[in-house]
Amino acid sequence: MNTLMNLDPWGFLDDLLDTGSRTLRTMRARAAGRFPPVNVYLDDTAVIIDLELPGKTAKDVNLSLEPQAVVIADKPAEQADGETGKPENRAPAWSRRLELPFRVDADKANAKFTDGILRIELPKTEANGVRHIAIK
Amino acid sequence: MNSEEKFIVPTATFAEKPAEYELKVQIPGIAKEDVDLHMEGKTLTLKTRSKYQNPAGFRQVAAEFERANYAMSADLPDMADPAALAAKLENGILTVTIKKRPETQPRKIEIG
Repeated sequence: MNTLMNLDPWGFLDDLLDTGSRTLRTMRARAAGRFPPVNVYLDDTAVIIDLELPGKTAKDVNLSLEPQAVVIADKPAEQADGETGKPENRAPAWSRRLELPFRVDADKANAKFTDGILRIELPKTEANGVRHIAIK
Repeated sequence: MNSEEKFIVPTATFAEKPAEYELKVQIPGIAKEDVDLHMEGKTLTLKTRSKYQNPAGFRQVAAEFERANYAMSADLPDMADPAALAAKLENGILTVTIKKRPETQPRKIEIG
């Protein structure tokens, strides 16, 4: 009975609305220049992420890898604070966190700029992150 | 492919400086050799051919931009000198500078 109760015949509407609002949000943010568009490609061995970043170079982007996600963020230009001469701590103009379908091998990750497009290649790792503990 | 070739008008800014005009066009994914820029009369035309490729054998799971061929044209102001035009492509941004014609520049007149 429980499973039947959980079946929501109108769930697709929520999905639709959610997708719609996400699309709208994406469009709004993009219109405001807040984050760059991405293409994501997948096969059994790796995930490839392309970002359109015209005018940017390696020093303008921060890339950090979580076990099963990647965070790509704008690296604010370091501007010396007028008063103290110290670099100001500024929030990135945009940041995107992409969940990955599998764990990736951080050591074999590769990212490269070509003509304003950043391509990030993240090979799947063989290790599943599970550690077996011997029982004494 | 030719029949359904698609062109996008790129994002561009045009600025006037004291001695020149500067046109900046965003054409990510385009290599230098794939930019076709030409002047006819006072019309500047840009066409590009993209080499951006989906990685072979991969399936696409998110698509927010596509392989784009860019095309645009712009009429330069009368003060621009079409002969004094320079272009450079850097990290997906094409910068075209067009000098103003010398006779349009302010001239200091010596008093004899």
